[in-house]
Amino acid sequence: MPLLRLEHVTKRFGGLVAVDDVSLEVKHGEIIAIVGPNGAGKTTLFNVINGVFLSDGGKIYFEGKDITNLPSYKRAPLGIGRTFQIPRPFGSASVRENVAIGGMFGTQGHRMNVDACMEMADRYIDLIGLKGHSGKPAGGLTPTEKKLVEIARALAMKPKLLLMDEAMAGMNPRDIDQMVELIKQIRETEKIAIVSMVEHIMRAVAGLAERVMVMHQGAKLVDEPTKEALSDPRVIEVYLGRPPEGNVADR
Amino acid sequence: MKNTLTKYLPLAPVLAGYLFLFLVGENLEGKWQLIAMLAFYCALGQAFNLFMGMTGYVDFGYVAFLGVGTYGMAIVISRLSDKGLGLWLLVIGLLLAIVMATLLSLAVGAVALRLRGAYFAIATIGVNEGFRYLIEGARLWGGSEGIIFTAQLNEAFGREFANVLATYWADVALFVIAAFSAFLTLFYMRSKIGYALTALREDEDAAKVMGINVTKFKIIAFITSASLAGMIGAVAWALKLTYVFPPDVFEIHYTVEAIIIVLLGGAGTLLGPIVGGLIYGLSKYYLAVTLPGFQLLIFAPIIIIIIVLFPEGTVGVLKKRVQGTFLAKIIV
Repeated sequence: MPLLRLEHVTKRFGGLVAVDDVSLEVKHGEIIAIVGPNGAGKTTLFNVINGVFLSDGGKIYFEGKDITNLPSYKRAPLGIGRTFQIPRPFGSASVRENVAIGGMFGTQGHRMNVDACMEMADRYIDLIGLKGHSGKPAGGLTPTEKKLVEIARALAMKPKLLLMDEAMAGMNPRDIDQMVELIKQIRETEKIAIVSMVEHIMRAVAGLAERVMVMHQGAKLVDEPTKEALSDPRVIEVYLGRPPEGNVADR
Repeated sequence: MKNTLTKYLPLAPVLAGYLFLFLVGENLEGKWQLIAMLAFYCALGQAFNLFMGMTGYVDFGYVAFLGVGTYGMAIVISRLSDKGLGLWLLVIGLLLAIVMATLLSLAVGAVALRLRGAYFAIATIGVNEGFRYLIEGARLWGGSEGIIFTAQLNEAFGREFANVLATYWADVALFVIAAFSAFLTLFYMRSKIGYALTALREDEDAAKVMGINVTKFKIIAFITSASLAGMIGAVAWALKLTYVFPPDVFEIHYTVEAIIIVLLGGAGTLLGPIVGGLIYGLSKYYLAVTLPGFQLLIFAPIIIIIIVLFPEGTVGVLKKRVQGTFLAKIIV
């Protein structure tokens, strides 16, 4: 049984079809990259998967359970964690509290008290390397640090599936490499499936994903192993445009 | 055990503050009335802060909960004073006040708390006015004539005790309610409820994605805060005045005072309401004594200056200052 299964999922905003008949399967422990240019519908797809928006058509199953019409706060305890494109930590709360909040209401939340969540938070803060910032309000961190806090907060939820929205956007190459290492490490230690959404940074995609799904204008264009997907002419066309007919010099 | 003690240490300055106020009132001749007013403002702030401070939602109809609480006590005393219940009469009155405030908050919260920010504020303004006109128009509980129960109170407890009840015990009860509200605030802060409220105050959508049922936690804070308001109304208005008129208790002015106290002290802080209540109560009192007639003219700019200088409230600023020191464990 796949961990997550989307069947012909559609989401419209008025006349705009943001997600157009997308089907997708994610297996336990798999790393998938969702790639596509700006406006391809990637973030909307994420929002439909974790319930920020309800889909207008199609079905979503998580571990075989139909979650199509479940509100987002009921999906999280099932095991769907998420980070945002623009990090949204709880600014006035400390880094430690931010991460602990993830634990309190995640899959293990019902059997952990506040103190246990705080202790677990310390472990994940170690993992992301922000030990020295543990007591600081998350609102005062740098954007990269905020992203790390979000990842730790999502991991503290003990999810089975982690949705990472543009984890590497706006980072310098060194930070990207570190992020790639962190994600690999997470896969090793947490054994969870990761769906990562990427707009441009193909270098990171190549280093990470086993499979790539390319979206274009809301629809699924390609769903293949990474190597094939990145050399697929349709994908190149989406990113670079159609090659000119005939020889450029002749025109 | 030691852990629990550290967790609840921040209650110490709050309780010390109330004890200090109480002792000043006991020992300084002729100051009890001022202390009683301060107790009212501190209790009002402490109860209101539990909702406004912790959720970031502003309820402009808050005074309605004090209003129905006043009615709860008034109804019990006016109807049951001849049953020989003794002090149980007051207990039943307080319970009815809590029940009525809770029911109203449930009805309001179930609808209005689905709205966000400014929409919630606008919706709640209507609740207070609407409830007042409902009572007057439907001739509920005496309609616009209200309930006067001075005679019944005297009958139940004797004129002398009724008098002490109104001028002393009601005020002492306010201190107890204020301290109890502070305890509840800290209890919430230290539990998952408090963390859920922090999360939803900062970012409601992100909180939902983290698995937090935001409506549920908002309603918990709302009901707690409202039932405390019902107690304050029952004690500070019903017992002290021994009558209740709709225009007196559904007066939006008190809601505004509650908002100012919370903002002056620092929304969402434990120590804020007592500091805010003192600043507000003392300046209101002494400005009225020294500059009668002009007090609001002076008072308004003072409030504006404080809020501009300390947007996070006096305690909010203090909290930032002491971050990292041992005082941070006490000032919360």
